Amino acid sequence: MIPRHFQITLALLLLAILISGTYLVRLKRREEAFNRQSIPTRPVAPGEMGKQEHIRVLVAYDDDLALRWREAQVFLPSERTARAKQVLRAVLAQYLQSPSPHTVGKGADIKEVYLLSNDTLVVDTTAQFAAGQPSGILLEELTLTSLIETLTANVPGIARVKFLVDGQERETLAGHVDLMPFYETSAVHELVKEFE
Amino acid sequence: MIDASHGGDDIGAILPGRVEEKELTLTLARELRKQLEARGVRARLLRESDTDLTLERRAEITNQEHAGLYVALHAGLPANGVRVYWSAMTAAKPKTRSLIPLWESAQTESLGRSRSMASAVADQVRKNDLSISLLTAPLRPLNNVVAPAIAVEWAPSPADLKPPQSAKVTARLTSAVAEAVARVRASSEGRP
Repeated sequence: MIPRHFQITLALLLLAILISGTYLVRLKRREEAFNRQSIPTRPVAPGEMGKQEHIRVLVAYDDDLALRWREAQVFLPSERTARAKQVLRAVLAQYLQSPSPHTVGKGADIKEVYLLSNDTLVVDTTAQFAAGQPSGILLEELTLTSLIETLTANVPGIARVKFLVDGQERETLAGHVDLMPFYETSAVHELVKEFE
Repeated sequence: MIDASHGGDDIGAILPGRVEEKELTLTLARELRKQLEARGVRARLLRESDTDLTLERRAEITNQEHAGLYVALHAGLPANGVRVYWSAMTAAKPKTRSLIPLWESAQTESLGRSRSMASAVADQVRKNDLSISLLTAPLRPLNNVVAPAIAVEWAPSPADLKPPQSAKVTARLTSAVAEAVARVRASSEGRP
C-alpha cells in the first residue's frame, strides 16, 4: 500500500509536468508565429556583389615606372560607396597577385569608403596598406595615383579623395607622399599623364 | 636650406646592400653644402647627424629662416639615375583667398620658381652625364615651404653604391645641383 502523502506528491508532480509541457508547447508555437510574421518585414541589406562589369583599371608597373590601363572584370554594386570600394579593391587585386607589377603590402585592403558630400570621398585603408608599402617617392606616388585615377574613371562625379589608414589620418604613405590633403582628382589626372 | 631627408627612427627606403636612405641623404647633404660654399652660396643643413626631425618641423625651420631655396635630398628605388621633383600641388584649394600663406598650400606662390629651379638642376645633371627624370610629386613637406622648393632623388644601382663609384657619383650629382643653384642665383641677381 502506497502511503497517502506519496500519492499526493506524485499527483502534484504529474500535474506540474503537464502544465510545464503545455506552457512549452504554447511558447514554441508563439515563437514560430512571430518568426513567420517578422521575416518579411526585416530590412534587407543591399547586395554587396552587384552585377559583373568590365572596368578599366590603371595599373602601375615598377619595372619601367609607367601607368597603363588594363581591363578587369569585377562585381560592382550600383550604390556609389560600395561601387567605389570594389573599384579600389580591383586595383589592389592587381598588385596582390604573384608576380606583381607593383608591390604593396600583404593585407593591403580597403576597409571602408565614406561619401562626405556628393563629390568628396574618404577612403579608409587597412594598416597593412601603409605598413607594407615600399618606401620611395615614385613607388608611393604610383600607388596613390593608380587608385585615384581608377576611382574617378569608374565612379563618376568624384572631385576630391582623402585616404585614412586604419581609421586615422597619416602624414605620408611610407615616408614621402602626402596623405594629409584631400586630393583634387583633376590635378591627379594631370599627374598621371607623366607616367602614361 | 638643404634637407637630408629622414633620420633617427625614420630610415626611409632600403637600398641595395641594405643601405638606408637616411645615411645616403646625409652624405649627399654634406657634399652638396661643400659644393655650394665653394661657389659662394651660403648653405645650411636641416640635420647634421642621425636625428629625428618631423616633416612639419623641417618646413617650419625653412620658413622661419626665410631660406631662399629648399632642397630635399632623397635616395630611392627603382634604380634609374636621378629624379628631380617640384610640388604637384594636388591638394584641394581653399575656397577663400588668404593674405597669409596657408600651411597646406604655402608653396603655391613659389611654384613657378620651383619648376624653373628643378629644370635648371635637371639640365645640369644631364650635362654631368647622369640619367635624369624631371617630375612632379605630392611630396611632403614641399607644399608647406614658402620658398622655391625642389627634391632631388638619387636612384642608385647596386654598383653605384660601392666605393669608389659611390663617391664619384655623389660628387657628380652634388656638383651639378650646386652649379645649377649658383647659376640661377647669379642670373636672378643680374650677374653673368
